[in-house]
Amino acid sequence: MMLLGFMAMPGPSSAQTLGSETRQSGSDPGDPASGSLTGPVSGYMDFHYNNREDEDARLDFHRFVLLFSHSFSDRIRFVSELELEHAVVSNETAGELELEQAYVDFLITRSFNVRAGMLLAPVGIINERHEPPVFHGVERPFVDTVIVPTTWFDSGVGVHGEFRHGFRYRAYLMSPLDSTGFSADQGIREGRQKGVQSNARSMAGTGRLEYVGHPGLVLGTSFWSGDTGFQDLRFDTSVTMVEFDGRYRYGEFETRGEYAHGYLDGMGELNASRQRTVGVSPNVARQVRGFYLESSYFVSPLPAPRELALFVRYENFDTQYRMPTGFQPLKEFDRDALVFGLTYFPDPDIAVKLDYTVLRSQSDVVKAPDSLNIGLGWWF
Amino acid sequence: MTQAILRRICVLILAVVATVLVPSSNWASTQEHHIVEIVAERFTFTPSEIRVSVGTTLELRVRSDDTMHGFRIVGGNVNLTVPKRRQGEAVVLFEAHEVGRFRFECSRLCGAGHNFMQGEIIVVEP
Repeated sequence: MMLLGFMAMPGPSSAQTLGSETRQSGSDPGDPASGSLTGPVSGYMDFHYNNREDEDARLDFHRFVLLFSHSFSDRIRFVSELELEHAVVSNETAGELELEQAYVDFLITRSFNVRAGMLLAPVGIINERHEPPVFHGVERPFVDTVIVPTTWFDSGVGVHGEFRHGFRYRAYLMSPLDSTGFSADQGIREGRQKGVQSNARSMAGTGRLEYVGHPGLVLGTSFWSGDTGFQDLRFDTSVTMVEFDGRYRYGEFETRGEYAHGYLDGMGELNASRQRTVGVSPNVARQVRGFYLESSYFVSPLPAPRELALFVRYENFDTQYRMPTGFQPLKEFDRDALVFGLTYFPDPDIAVKLDYTVLRSQSDVVKAPDSLNIGLGWWF
Repeated sequence: MTQAILRRICVLILAVVATVLVPSSNWASTQEHHIVEIVAERFTFTPSEIRVSVGTTLELRVRSDDTMHGFRIVGGNVNLTVPKRRQGEAVVLFEAHEVGRFRFECSRLCGAGHNFMQGEIIVVEP
């Protein structure tokens, strides 16, 4: 065990720090190669091999993300996250360059702090906690893609803090969703305005209450509510989403689950209006719903590079769970998935992932493809 | 045979007494000494609130369950690296002289929710 101890000088506070040390096994924490140097730039990357049934296999540099931060003082901080998806941004490619976060935190007290700028909606497990080594499976869960549209970000302002006994909260006002982007298969996903001169005629409210007071246990509930119909003022549309999630880790075993339910008002009028103006109804549902349960176990609970975990996840998600009067659901959008595989950690910040995804829908006509996926993700 | 057993018992008793009486480290104190184990992970410290009485010496042992974090007492002189999962721990000795609140935080950018990683040592009257 390497010991780097030093006797610290008393700080300005009346309580003293007598001493401090980092006890690190395996490497010298003072060695730059051990990664102990801190800096204002961090990031994560996600490189995927996706082999879907009935399609050619694809290699995709899915995400290249850089985080920049700056402390103006102990109480005023800036954090940003700039993401390049699918490597190239052009008219011919699916690439996107997104400013997913860029906010200033005004840290006032432990229970009350103010945040403004480009924010992450505090909904679900993955949206705020999406670095590749922290979740199993090459791709993010389906529920956290088509029901909770991660990465869900937009401009806004809000407050956050922690009360006693491990309860903490976020409450933001954010730019609303745009219902003209809603669809039958992707739900509300394409309704995100992403801070691109977002229409703010009516701000959405979103929040999360979380319990983190017991080691290994996180329980959370989130909501989002806001009008979405500013593109067509002839009728009102809105979205309200509620979500519950939990994670529990005991020894080498971890389990997590999430349930998300979206209520979309005014979709009958929206579908009819698009039918009249464009000629095709988007067939948007009045309710979308999804849930998943996942368990994982470190079968090799040794320090990296000997860490290996196995996992299995069951998901059920339906973007046409309930339809407006006069519209019929398509069974192909009532889907479930079984995802299983392994995550190998050559370093706690590097995840080599392998999974097999069995995707099924209730449709007898449209087949949902299985896939074999391999991923390399890292954080620094 | 019996004498040999008695000798071994005496040696054992002496060893136990010596262990108790001899300070195990130069951090030992005559004050009340509390050890608190803290788990750091994106984006929480658990526990995030530690209450102690004035006069207590607090030994904080911070380990990570994922990436490398930092442990900094705001306004103080502690800013340590918390090693990655299964690679060690950071140890801080904190002496509570007076009533007050002392905020600690992650000092190494660890992801999207980095600024949520805060906690507090609350020193109260005995």
